Amino acid sequence: MMHNTDGQSEPVNLVSPAQQSYLDQFREQVSATGGTIEFVARSPEAVRDAVLARASSKRPILIAEPRYLSPDYFRPLRSEEGVLTHPHADDYRSAPVGVTEAFAAVARTGSVCVDIGADIAGYVSLLPRLHIVVVDAERLVFRPSDLFRLEQFARPTFHRDFVFISGPSATADMGPLVRGVHGPHELHIVVLC
Amino acid sequence: MPKRVTSPREVAAKESRAILRRAIRLALDTESAAVRHNTRSFNLNRYRATAALPDYDALKDEARRIKEHALVNRKALVQRLSESVTRNGGHFFFARDAQEAGQYIQGVCKRHCVRSLVKGKSMTSEEIHLNGALEHDGIRVVETDLAEFILQAADEQPSHIIAPAIHYSRERITALFRRKFQTDLPLDTGEDLTRFARERLRQDFLAADAGITGANLVSADCGSLLLVESEANIRLTCIAPPLHIALSGLEKIVPSRREFASFIELLAASATGQPLTSYTSVIRPPLAVPVVDFRGAGPATREFHLVIVDNGREALARDAQLKEALYCIRCSACLNSCANFQVLGGHGFGGATYSGGIGATWEAATTGQLKLARFSDLCTGCSRCVPQCPVRIDIPGLNVELRSRLNKSIPLSLTARAMHLLLGASPVENASAQQIFFAHYDRLARWGTLFAPLSNFFSKVPGARWFLEKSFGIDRRRHLAPFPRKTWVDISADEVTEKPDAPRGPGVLVLADVFTNYGAPERGKDALRCLRAAGVRVRLTKSLPDGRAALSQGMIDTARAQAETLSRYIAAENAAERPLLVVEPSVLAMILREYRKLLPAEAFVKLQNSTIDLVQFLARHFAEQGSDPRAVFNIRKFAPGPRVFYHAHCQQRAVSDPSITVEFLRRLGFEVTCSQVECCGMAGSFGYKKDFYDVSQAVSEELVEQWKAAESAKGPHTLLASGVSCIEQLQGATGRAVLHPVELLAKLL
Ligand code: SF4
Repeated sequence: MMHNTDGQSEPVNLVSPAQQSYLDQFREQVSATGGTIEFVARSPEAVRDAVLARASSKRPILIAEPRYLSPDYFRPLRSEEGVLTHPHADDYRSAPVGVTEAFAAVARTGSVCVDIGADIAGYVSLLPRLHIVVVDAERLVFRPSDLFRLEQFARPTFHRDFVFISGPSATADMGPLVRGVHGPHELHIVVLC
Repeated sequence: MPKRVTSPREVAAKESRAILRRAIRLALDTESAAVRHNTRSFNLNRYRATAALPDYDALKDEARRIKEHALVNRKALVQRLSESVTRNGGHFFFARDAQEAGQYIQGVCKRHCVRSLVKGKSMTSEEIHLNGALEHDGIRVVETDLAEFILQAADEQPSHIIAPAIHYSRERITALFRRKFQTDLPLDTGEDLTRFARERLRQDFLAADAGITGANLVSADCGSLLLVESEANIRLTCIAPPLHIALSGLEKIVPSRREFASFIELLAASATGQPLTSYTSVIRPPLAVPVVDFRGAGPATREFHLVIVDNGREALARDAQLKEALYCIRCSACLNSCANFQVLGGHGFGGATYSGGIGATWEAATTGQLKLARFSDLCTGCSRCVPQCPVRIDIPGLNVELRSRLNKSIPLSLTARAMHLLLGASPVENASAQQIFFAHYDRLARWGTLFAPLSNFFSKVPGARWFLEKSFGIDRRRHLAPFPRKTWVDISADEVTEKPDAPRGPGVLVLADVFTNYGAPERGKDALRCLRAAGVRVRLTKSLPDGRAALSQGMIDTARAQAETLSRYIAAENAAERPLLVVEPSVLAMILREYRKLLPAEAFVKLQNSTIDLVQFLARHFAEQGSDPRAVFNIRKFAPGPRVFYHAHCQQRAVSDPSITVEFLRRLGFEVTCSQVECCGMAGSFGYKKDFYDVSQAVSEELVEQWKAAESAKGPHTLLASGVSCIEQLQGATGRAVLHPVELLAKLL
């Protein structure tokens, strides 16, 4: 179940799941940007398993509470060992893995959209080397501009601060393309569908 | 021997031709290889990315419209933005000039006892020399964009607007870091270098008291910033320190956040050639998320300052001829698609802050010094950047205007005065002797032809080339085509149609452009033969200058006068509105593009509707008739065989689709390989000039490489080019004969 920050439940269906072609395009684009992607069932356990598998033995895992996905999705994860929901400065310095939700994903560009304003998602999606992001397939739009056209966008509380993340941080300034600069070196996207 | 240049900074401010020459030398000697490689890969990626954008043209129109509108409403937008920022809990400051902006930021830093700060890449901060001012106050300023990090270590100015260290190869970065940081850590790969910089900088981010960023766009309705980057250093700069200062030119303001939507994909595609770069942030600072106490300085609240800078922009906005430059979204497409920029980079082709064709206007506007636009001389007017610009700025047009103003700022020399007199040229327009020489090519050529072969004999007299080089800066290494005894018009009496067997119908008018008329009369004659063979009734015009030569020298008044005369003549001759056919592509582009600014709208539209490239007319003619061109043009008559290597003229590609010519040749049975370069490097008079000979040669290398590659893959090719100057350049560079498409076609008759 999706809900927005205004607290009301509001099922949104931006791209019909039948539009499998968007999902395919999204998958392709994510790998083109250097990210990885997997599709899991809409269940808290599946989210936990996907995150733990990708994080492998790396700890601690920082978690930013979801604001758009139901908090239930991160519940089983929260009780795992080495998972932190209220990190301190030192945790941010050293944690190798950060987990956030994304409130939308963009097929054409392989991007996920993360709200970085009020919550710690801004840090969690930025400082650890591995960023795992969970997004619902229903929140897939075709192009970045589609997001700006949505009614919700006009609402003052909605997406006040956000970032389109398209792959890990990268640079071509040192000669060849290098992935992993000041932000995450790896981006893993878990799509709920 | 000119003095050796030891650092790019020495030649950053190009106030004179002498400094420009030294900067070119530096760029060609030490920076060219890396710049070539990097700009060309940006260029290729952009072509791919923009082709993949489903609504590229509509987006460009939309972006242009938003920018035009925003500029008109700039006063109201600044006001609205200031209210929004204040409402959000931030602080707003409008700085009239660099000094005010610097002082404000210094004041904020003082109040916060800032000892060290991190910076994201900001051209505006380069423009206002912010780092120097802050360092003067004892603040440690850390550039965190890796390219800026390199430049800070090397103490150099940026050489590109989105990749400021584009002139650095991996090897040179390694050497620089070893020297500068005295480290034994591994630095031999891109990964090593990135790791080294990242680890140093991560400490700096977390210890910084303040962060300074620029902004790609700013929205007036809610004070949101659009920030585009790939390294995540901007994200860190915005979120890690408690104090965030954003600095932006007033031209970056758009009415609302919704407008960002039109730019996001367009900017990414035009800039790095990606669907999106790694991070596109839309934030409305101050961020609500609490500050994490990385510094161990205790709890802190966030504070945000937005500094909007005028610094010459308001004056630019009131400048009817140059204000277009303010629509620039700093994507760098015009740099990467510029053949001269590809071999020089921004240290040769650029100023202290801004580079490339668009940079000259910016440099002059933000410094208030016209003379700093001298590097606009490196814009040849080839126009390859024009279709690449996401906001449709006429960049060559800006540079012609700057050149004209630079000309007018220097009094007319005696030699130049004498030349005007001698040539009987009017209007008398300020320019150098060299510019007048090239601008009045038609008059010189008329004399040369009148007195041929005596005039040709003169150029072979010992010392003559020395004289030309000394007085007019014409490089003595260039081959000068001899003047013919008879012009195209002279030899074509037979080909014009007032003969009994002439084809019927309204027919066409063929423009006897001055370059073909005096420079290649036989080519002109070939063109007429092809038309006649195709059954087209032909009339050849008088040979009148079209203004291209004058315009390229920045002599706008002369160009306008010539355009007006030509258009009046054509209007009188062409009451029946027959198609006007043009052989020489630079003249074609002059009429179809540049006349828009030189002629009254009605006269321009009339000419625009009737003017067409001669070969493209032939292709259309056969298509309309439904007849097979092979019945007229028989490829078997061409002994060298069907393989041709075709270089389409740069300006032609800005106004018409060269694939029509290519398809026509293929239809006739040719196997056509096309060059993939933006320009041959000759670009009219550019390559003849002593100051630019080396640039011109460097540009031609890639073209020659491609031709060689085609030959080694498939065997010998006939070289084909459409412009007078491209043909000269290719002949000079390959030592082989080069044909114009009409010359090739005439051989099939
Ligand atoms: S002038 Fe146009 S192409 Fe050049 S940087 Fe600006 S927006 Fe990009």
